[in-house]
Amino acid sequence: MAALLELRNMTVALGRSETAKVILDDVSFSLAPKEIVGVVGASASGKTVLSRAAVNWLEPPLTRRSGTVLFEGRDIYAMKEADMRALRQRVSYVGANPMGALDPTLPVGAQIVEKMRAVMPDVSRRQAEDRVIALLDAVRIPSARNRFHDYPSQFSGGMMQRALIVDALVTNPAVLVADNVTQPLDVTVAAQVIRLIKELTDQFDTAVLFISSSLPMVREASSRTLVIDRGRIVEEQATEALVASPIHPYTRELVAQTPQIWRGAGAVPALPAEREVVLSLRDASQTYRVKKRNGIGGVNLVRAVRNVTFDVRRGDSFAIVGESGCGKSTLMRLLSRLELPSAGQILCEGKDIATLRGRDLLAFRARLQLVLQDPFGSLPPRTSIGRMLEEPLRTHGWRDKEKLRARVLKVMLEVGLAAELYNELPLGLSAGQRQRVNVARALVLEPTILIMDETLSALDQAEQFKLLDLFQALQKEYNLTYIFISHDLAMVRKVCNRVAVMYLGEVFELADNQRLFFDPGHPYTMALLSAMPTLEEKRYKPEDCLLEGEPPSPLSIPAGCSFKSRCPRAMEICNGEQPFLTVRDEQDFAACHLVARTMSPAERASP
Amino acid sequence: MFTLNFLIRRLTQGVVIIGLVSLLIFTLLRVVPGDPVRLMAGGMAPEALIEKIAKDMGLRDPIIVQFGRYMGSVLQGDLGQSFVRPANGAATGGANFNDTTRGERAKVLTLILEALPMTLQLAAVTLAIALLFSAVVGIAGGLNPSGWPDKLAFYISSVFISLPNFWLGIVLTLLLSVKLGWLPAIGYHGFAYTILPAVVLAVEMSPVLIRTLVGAVSSQMTEPYVSVGRVRGLGRTRIIANHVMRNASVPLLNLLGIQFSSLLGGVIIVEYIFDYPGLGLLTINAVLQRDFPLIQGIAIVTSAIFVVINIIVDLVATTIDPRLDY
Repeated sequence: MAALLELRNMTVALGRSETAKVILDDVSFSLAPKEIVGVVGASASGKTVLSRAAVNWLEPPLTRRSGTVLFEGRDIYAMKEADMRALRQRVSYVGANPMGALDPTLPVGAQIVEKMRAVMPDVSRRQAEDRVIALLDAVRIPSARNRFHDYPSQFSGGMMQRALIVDALVTNPAVLVADNVTQPLDVTVAAQVIRLIKELTDQFDTAVLFISSSLPMVREASSRTLVIDRGRIVEEQATEALVASPIHPYTRELVAQTPQIWRGAGAVPALPAEREVVLSLRDASQTYRVKKRNGIGGVNLVRAVRNVTFDVRRGDSFAIVGESGCGKSTLMRLLSRLELPSAGQILCEGKDIATLRGRDLLAFRARLQLVLQDPFGSLPPRTSIGRMLEEPLRTHGWRDKEKLRARVLKVMLEVGLAAELYNELPLGLSAGQRQRVNVARALVLEPTILIMDETLSALDQAEQFKLLDLFQALQKEYNLTYIFISHDLAMVRKVCNRVAVMYLGEVFELADNQRLFFDPGHPYTMALLSAMPTLEEKRYKPEDCLLEGEPPSPLSIPAGCSFKSRCPRAMEICNGEQPFLTVRDEQDFAACHLVARTMSPAERASP
Repeated sequence: MFTLNFLIRRLTQGVVIIGLVSLLIFTLLRVVPGDPVRLMAGGMAPEALIEKIAKDMGLRDPIIVQFGRYMGSVLQGDLGQSFVRPANGAATGGANFNDTTRGERAKVLTLILEALPMTLQLAAVTLAIALLFSAVVGIAGGLNPSGWPDKLAFYISSVFISLPNFWLGIVLTLLLSVKLGWLPAIGYHGFAYTILPAVVLAVEMSPVLIRTLVGAVSSQMTEPYVSVGRVRGLGRTRIIANHVMRNASVPLLNLLGIQFSSLLGGVIIVEYIFDYPGLGLLTINAVLQRDFPLIQGIAIVTSAIFVVINIIVDLVATTIDPRLDY
């Protein structure tokens, strides 16, 4: 078959000079009509530049040094700008950042219509509107006709990504370049989006260049896969063959680094059951009052965390998982006493942290420290690293300069930061090093509990591995207790001994690692497991348990079971009665009527 | 529904603000030294007569009682009478307490309603000139950051901001009206008299508008939707005209709300220089003559104008950008 899109010897550099850094190095490949080709590579391997080069969207300082792109045999870099703009009808692009992609002050639908009519001037406004609404419907945006008039800020990340897929497909393109489209999405939504792209491109005969940093994700989507490393294509094979028998060492590393969930023994050693409880939640709830936009003086109650009860024991690596908006981060703010719960209690070593004042509060802060998600926003850019790490010690009363310095240097050594960085600003540091600074800043006070709020999600696979090893070494040495707040189940499977699954502010399931992954008690947990991108055969099939749509708004939580609207196994009882966490075993609990049904009322106990 | 709710809320707030401003002005005017009765009655009037007039006018009552009485009549649309100005127009303040030519005193509301349209006309022309000029210079600057239009915008605003308005007013009068005879300058006998003072005020206003526009446009140009717009197939002109301008207009609008107050401040000096019969000139004379009711009336009317303008600005801003929540 003739190639639809062909890259020929594409070389792109960062700047115009001879010595400029080369980002893409002599990349050639082609895409046949209706084919889905995957491109996989680590961050900074040149994936995004490749996707931009393929659609003639290189912006300074990116400079095309040589090579070209042919679309149906025509050189798109030799075209006049107006011709290229017209060609955008047939060559579409969807990026990784859906939230900024549209003008925030105009309705989503109007902007898609604008785009359609900009590249297809013959289409009337009415026709365009009808087509956009039909497509919004096709990507399963609920009540598309109303959503058409909503503004980008009223869309969730997942819906916005779907709207942008509509934007890309509205002109019936021959090629769709999808650059890391699933990256900002939850696994459940990412799975839906991939399925959607496959369906739609099948329906509209579109070829897709699917670019991702996740090999399992690429495998879900594509039939043929290219592996890119440091700007070069190092391997190209049919996807299944590539996964089964990788040839290039880099590909082999990539396959080996992809975490395994069910294959092999669990990596987490079992801990004795009877250990001291360090953190205990008793029906902790948090309700926010949000001013109503319409109506005078009215407030909406957002029930972000609802009656959460669990214990964290010393030495635990406790995971809190769930989709975005499930209340994980609110729970983090409650645990770290950045906010006080609106109801219920949180006990740290037996004391209610809400009642702590003055010296006791400061002592609690030293015991429990936080490591945040964003490695870039969380470090002050004009403060030296040494100074940054001394700061918490000064707050806690350290004054002696020599001691401060000695303590900081010791911690820097422990987390693997060179002592020379003491006087450096954080400017030149990589994301991984920055996260090490964040960990050091938390560790410098010798805490016993560390809360990791999506600490690893900004790092690529290899960096994640290194930091996880570091965490495990530190845990062994100082008998630390970790609370991981994460949406990455593969990471949880690897390091956490106990897992709480949250949905709409509630804990749906609370279980040990092995039990959760091999015998989950809640349909929602199964759905999460089925949506995980993996290279191995899935224990839970997406066909059986994958969710449609997104969680309901926390403003109007449905009565009865809050999961019933998406649950494939919803029953009569789920409408009326809210299920509570029910014991399945000594250690394991699930909040589902399916569990409660299998035992007598006498056996039901609260955790 | 949102608009109605917004208007009710903001108008209520506005009434409170106007009330507080009135109270503040009222109190300040009564604690500053200088007895208005002495000014009204003339320097030669006997002490007993002054006390009698003051008592008759209620000026010896506690301030809060006076304020209550005053606000009561304000609510009925009566801003009181000028202490000094007669109804027939001639400015007075003479030395003779028994001057028979004085007769009836002018109503404050009438005085303000005569001067206000003049000032509003001046303000409108000023805004038109300032906006037009700033838009051209500022948008060009914002679209070419660190290029020559950006530098030009910077130099223009630096020069303009360092020109004192009284100096500029005199120089322009000398140049355009005395030497060249192109534009009339002093007094008001037709629309042409508005242009020169408006230019002076516009020069004073433009630097801030230009800087805001340059900043807003150039920061909008770095937003992802601009770059993504290109790959979506939108032309540069369309992206700038339909999206960048729309988003950049919000900070400009907010600024205009604030700038309007400095405009009404600038009007005082400029109207005085050009002898332009607007609110500014009225204010200056009222202050010089210690004409308490007139000063109060002007204060209430101007604060009401501020309130209304800021409500309009915020309403327009929320219409442009629905994320805003005032």
